[in-house]
Amino acid sequence: MSIEYAFSFSKEKCTQCYGCEVACKSWRDGELGVSWRRVYKIWTGRYPEVKLASASVSCMHCVDPVCVKICPVQAIQKRPEDGIVVGDKSKCIGCKSCEKECPFGAPQFGAEGKMQKCDLCLSQVDLGKDPPPCVETCPTKALQVVKMETKEKKAIEQNIQKLIGSAANTR
Amino acid sequence: MSKGKKESQFLLDRRTFLKFAGVGIAGATLLGSFPFESFTLDEAMAAAAKAGETVVPTFCAMCGPAANCGVYAFTKNGRFSKVAGMKESPVNAGAVCPKGQAAPQWVYSPDRLKYPMKRVGKKGEGKFQQITWDEAIGIIADTLKQQKQKYGPESLGMLSPARRTYSDYLFRFLIAHGSPNYGHSGICAMQMGFTFHYTVGDWPRAVDYANSDLVLVWGKQPIYSGPAQDGVRAYVNAKARGAKIIAIKPTMEPDVGLADEWMPIRPGTDAALALAMLHVVVNENLIDKAFVEQWCYGYDQLKEHVQKYPPPWAEKITGIPANRIAEVARLFATTKRAGIELGNGVEHVPSSNDAIRAVAILIAITGHLDRPGGNVFGAASKMPKPNTVHLTERYTQEWVDKLVYPEFPKPFQPALEGTSSAYYGLFDSVLTEKPYPMRTIIAPGTQALASTRGSKRVVEALKKLEFYVVVDVARTADMPYADVVIPVATPYEIDHPFEVRGNWIMARNRVIEPLADNKSIFEFLCDLGVKMGYGADFWGGSMNESMNDQLKPLGMTIDELRKHPTGIKYEMIPRKYENYETVFKRKSPRISKAPFLPQGKVAIYNTSFKEAGYNPLPQWKEPPESITGTPELTKKYPLILSDYHTSSVYTASWQRNVPFLREIVPYPTVHIHPDTASARGIKDGDWVRVESPHGWIKVKAQLYPGTRPDTVMVLHGWWQGCKELGFEDYPLFDGGANVNIMYNVDPQKAFDPVVTAMSSQTLVQISKA
Repeated sequence: MSIEYAFSFSKEKCTQCYGCEVACKSWRDGELGVSWRRVYKIWTGRYPEVKLASASVSCMHCVDPVCVKICPVQAIQKRPEDGIVVGDKSKCIGCKSCEKECPFGAPQFGAEGKMQKCDLCLSQVDLGKDPPPCVETCPTKALQVVKMETKEKKAIEQNIQKLIGSAANTR
Repeated sequence: MSKGKKESQFLLDRRTFLKFAGVGIAGATLLGSFPFESFTLDEAMAAAAKAGETVVPTFCAMCGPAANCGVYAFTKNGRFSKVAGMKESPVNAGAVCPKGQAAPQWVYSPDRLKYPMKRVGKKGEGKFQQITWDEAIGIIADTLKQQKQKYGPESLGMLSPARRTYSDYLFRFLIAHGSPNYGHSGICAMQMGFTFHYTVGDWPRAVDYANSDLVLVWGKQPIYSGPAQDGVRAYVNAKARGAKIIAIKPTMEPDVGLADEWMPIRPGTDAALALAMLHVVVNENLIDKAFVEQWCYGYDQLKEHVQKYPPPWAEKITGIPANRIAEVARLFATTKRAGIELGNGVEHVPSSNDAIRAVAILIAITGHLDRPGGNVFGAASKMPKPNTVHLTERYTQEWVDKLVYPEFPKPFQPALEGTSSAYYGLFDSVLTEKPYPMRTIIAPGTQALASTRGSKRVVEALKKLEFYVVVDVARTADMPYADVVIPVATPYEIDHPFEVRGNWIMARNRVIEPLADNKSIFEFLCDLGVKMGYGADFWGGSMNESMNDQLKPLGMTIDELRKHPTGIKYEMIPRKYENYETVFKRKSPRISKAPFLPQGKVAIYNTSFKEAGYNPLPQWKEPPESITGTPELTKKYPLILSDYHTSSVYTASWQRNVPFLREIVPYPTVHIHPDTASARGIKDGDWVRVESPHGWIKVKAQLYPGTRPDTVMVLHGWWQGCKELGFEDYPLFDGGANVNIMYNVDPQKAFDPVVTAMSSQTLVQISKA
């Protein structure tokens, strides 16, 4: 077991304001049509006993990333030192295998046809010190970046996967 | 995404939820300190320096009213690039919502107005010619001078935007000119302000969240207006502390998702619910006897009066089961620390005044007024109050008598904000010419065709109106009808005014130079004031002078205030409860200055209203079209339609042109229950025709499990396209997406008789387009 960076998310605090989604686009010069982070509405139950919750989801930097395994040209790597999953545009051939396999909808393909996704703002902020803009802008601190054990991180991955895999999710 | 899946898939297993909820912090190390330090001024400057950028502390400008989040605006090579939240701001404490984050795209939108223009084609044709500022100011001043001579100064009407810092400058211009006709919308805040004041002497709109055990969030969206502000933190923290929240509104929005219980109510029936709750509380004797005896006037009359409104009566109207109404009434009355957050929903009904005062009476007689955890009167700080620019001292009875279409009855004018006519009423006067027509209407930061109900009538008025001036940062829906268009700078391009919010005051700083031939709305009003000969009232045209004047009580100049880049926070005066003695004596702003409460007590039986010819006790009035009010219409139009006024990503009728926001909500939609949709063969994402007795719109169906099956909801304000994403404008009338055309505007049926609130409810049928 080792320690990795992870997003933690508290649905009790998320007001579904979409601040994280737009902060990501604004701070990383997001391309139109591409969203590295997305906020979902999660419906459960039936009227009048219906419930509404939220999920803010980007690349989960999975403990066992399927994108890394599937990529035919090894353009996606998981950094051993902190678990962050990063892509290498110069190697990417745009086959979209990663997009098909990722349960979180993380890999995206814009106009240039190369994989792009959340890199935890590795290139932008000193992660040891500052959070990425999606976390920083969150009015209720529902979204956090934490260091955690891989076992625990895996549990988050599984739960988010179940949530957004439900047929009732909407934007 | 398809929503037609089986029910089992809606029922996500509960353990997953709980597990998910629990996962997070235990065993994990947070980065940095906790909570995360977002940008302070030093951190923002360090980040900017590292990236070769500059940073300017200022205010966000992307929503309103009370758009007072502090932000750090970054620029790169002279271009406004991005925004971070200001940690030092007590309002947003470092957070920014999506609208705020998308601000640069709003500033650089291709829809921005670049230079003043005058109309050269026919009204509505949209043909304009570029002119200079001097020419534009000259044309407006000449017209106003001529009209003042010929028709009197009251022939000028000024439409009200959402409450802005410039609102008082608009009043100032009207007062200097001689017109009482500030056209306030009649759907936002002032209706509640008015009725609460004349019922309980103040507007205790704030619930003391920090101490509350129960909050009824009623007809309100506590998140979408100011999503990064203190109110949202109070809501989430109260929930975390274990307070119970019950939401009362037609659809389940994200705030309801976080609440404990939801009472889905039919739109426009809040007064019926409140009256039935009064029935329960009165008949079961769940009142605060001591408070009622000492501080209320007319309880006995109320007791007799509410016998007409038992819960089974309200069940038929509201669609909420009678036992549920009784339960919630009992819970509220018997929970000591409880409050009601009432929202703008109750201001969009012809029973607005009665809904608001029934709720105010409910709060009072159950002992929740200005008590811990209840509805509290405003808190004060040690900040001296800046001088107002509103020339309040010039109001006279003759002035009030000139009002063309009083928003509040003349005996109650000036009301809280000043003298006002109803926004819609200004246009109505153009058509009826009663008692006289507006000759010029100025539209600053507001677009009548997308904002007020009755667009089909408004456009006829725009065609007939002699002179229309549009003053805005970007293209508006009614711009084709403008005679002169004034292109104002966004607040990111100007260095005024300072803003005050609670105990915090800060100067606004310029982030970038105006993009084109733009000036601020303040400069426009000063320039026009000077040109009209009102220079003495407009500081000779200097905004610095204006700000220095206002700051005198604080003992500083604007330059001195600017030396505090993140502003000054004054100490709060500790809150005291039960301020009845002082508040109940408070004088009203009307000409007579008579107190709001003639008996010095809560006006359950309202003698002020009675003397003015209105009902002394709250009544029920059906919306112009409704299931119980007009059952004959339900065969053809079986569903109730109402609309939302703000959303997660748009403020009222603007910002559809901002790509990052438009990507999230790309199309106008109707929220429709999945069963209601499937009964009509409608699938998620289908374009549908929504038809009322007054018009039809074409929007996409959004299957929305959290909607009453008998009700559908649309977001108001749709017309504008988004060039960057290839979205064209939608038509403003039939076949477009402008929900304002759908409602009844019959003067006898659609308006509240006291506070001129307009109905936003009707009946519709929906079919695949």
